[in-house]
Amino acid sequence: MPQPQLADSISNLDRTPVLEARGLTRRFGGLIAVNNVSFSVNEGEIFGLIGPNGAGKTTLFNLVTGLIHPSNGQMLYQGDEISKLRPHQIAKKGIARTFQNIRLFADLSALENVMIAQHIHTKSGVFTGVLGLPPAPREEQKTRSRAFELLELVGLSDRADEKASNFPYGDQRRLEIARALALEPSVLLLDEPAAGMNPNEKQQLSDFIRQIRQQFNLTILLIEHHVPLVMGLCDRIAVLNFGQLIAIGNPADVKSDQAVIEAYLGTD
Amino acid sequence: MNDFVSTYGFLFVSMILGAMLGLSLYLPLMAGQLSLASPGFYALGGYVAAILSTKVFQVKEPFPIALLLLEMLIAGIICGLLGVIVGVPALRLRGIYLAIATIAFVEILRVLALNLDVTGGAVGIFGIPQPFQSPIEYLWIVLPLLLISMAFVYRLEKIRVGRAFIAIREDELAADSMGINPTYYKALAFTLGAILAGVVGAISAHFLNTWNARQGTFDASIIYLTFVLIGGSRTFLGPVLGGMVFTALPEILRAIADTPGLPVWLAQFLRDGRLIIFGLLIVIGTRFFPQGLVTPQLLKRRSRSQANR
Repeated sequence: MPQPQLADSISNLDRTPVLEARGLTRRFGGLIAVNNVSFSVNEGEIFGLIGPNGAGKTTLFNLVTGLIHPSNGQMLYQGDEISKLRPHQIAKKGIARTFQNIRLFADLSALENVMIAQHIHTKSGVFTGVLGLPPAPREEQKTRSRAFELLELVGLSDRADEKASNFPYGDQRRLEIARALALEPSVLLLDEPAAGMNPNEKQQLSDFIRQIRQQFNLTILLIEHHVPLVMGLCDRIAVLNFGQLIAIGNPADVKSDQAVIEAYLGTD
Repeated sequence: MNDFVSTYGFLFVSMILGAMLGLSLYLPLMAGQLSLASPGFYALGGYVAAILSTKVFQVKEPFPIALLLLEMLIAGIICGLLGVIVGVPALRLRGIYLAIATIAFVEILRVLALNLDVTGGAVGIFGIPQPFQSPIEYLWIVLPLLLISMAFVYRLEKIRVGRAFIAIREDELAADSMGINPTYYKALAFTLGAILAGVVGAISAHFLNTWNARQGTFDASIIYLTFVLIGGSRTFLGPVLGGMVFTALPEILRAIADTPGLPVWLAQFLRDGRLIIFGLLIVIGTRFFPQGLVTPQLLKRRSRSQANR
């Protein structure tokens, strides 16, 4: 299958790719969940990933974040191969994510959730921590106030001590974003961030995603089913179908792509 | 009063040792790892102390406290090293498979202890020298040790490393994605538990005066597990109280069994059915109190955020 990649890469020639997939393939037994997918994401982009259910979008996210490893092909981050790294090593490099089926630390408070995610930016060990020796107390203070800032950013600071599992669905998604931001990533992967939100909340989320891109200099990859949101928000969109990349480009081009219409968007 | 102390001195010290063994199981559990290896490290720590005090140090009684502390240190170090060696591969297993692997570890140590010369074979090691005149005086060592371990775990729950443990317990995959190395922190939690069990073993060898292969057994694994599961697996106070109560329980049951007028079979059961009762408690307790009797909700954690606004 031809991969319509040329047009968009020309328009972004002046930028360097942050993420690059090269012939990425992942098989699960006989099923090819992701099939020879190549694309690159430029710095500062909001990059959408759409496609029907089971198209391999989440599998692709899992490949990027090291939760699974590719059967073939490579994943590069700022030119370095990351396909063989484990999730925590990839997180340390600056790639953070949220999960489609929300994976907060459900029994812990919102604050603790965000504090935990600052792990890689702190150093204190068992003994400095237990005995309260430097750098532990200062780090602890910083971790806590930083967690509050991030909760404030997503509008949850007034419920910082509540258990994560007590939050309504939409707030849990916001909390997951705050937790991911605590890693101070340069790339943020959002897996269906608007799922379960009403149209009003979706619009707010859209604005919020733009805001954090600006504020934290992020490159954002986003899986989303809600087509208007994706079209309005993303700089570029990749469309997956049965594990294959069938289109990539700016929203207008993707929207009018015949293959995309047949596979996903449907004809009116 | 003196009567009371001399009758129950042994029990008090045992209860404190039980509390610490509960904590040694609680530490890996903080990182979500159900390890039953504590009796193995406890037995090993005991052998370290027994061998050092009977064969290496060769001093007259009363056995010097400094040497006792040195033995505890050595036992802790040896158990810590073995903890890393055993923990790193074993912790690749999850849930019940890890539990089974750690039971196997305990069994291997037991069989080794039964068959090696240095451990005295089936007979074990006798006449371990006493640093104190009476059992109750062991409180001078075990009480501070318990307070230190409690303070340690209390602090641990509030710091970066403890948060990493708890994150892994809550969701290992999410913790991994948040930059926490699960292998490292699981092995660390396991090793901290091993060190504590080893130190407790070292003091126990002196306390019990004799040490043999009956010290680290599958039975003991189940008993320590009861401490944590029934006491509470979500706060360090759970295993501490669980360890104390369940160490005292056989004595209490025995006292009840001695009440006149009980049917013979019931008295017999109360005296000898300790493991059956513990087993039943695990089943009933996990059904109705999945987090144990002492839970964080029960303790009503103080709001943690106030200080930082």
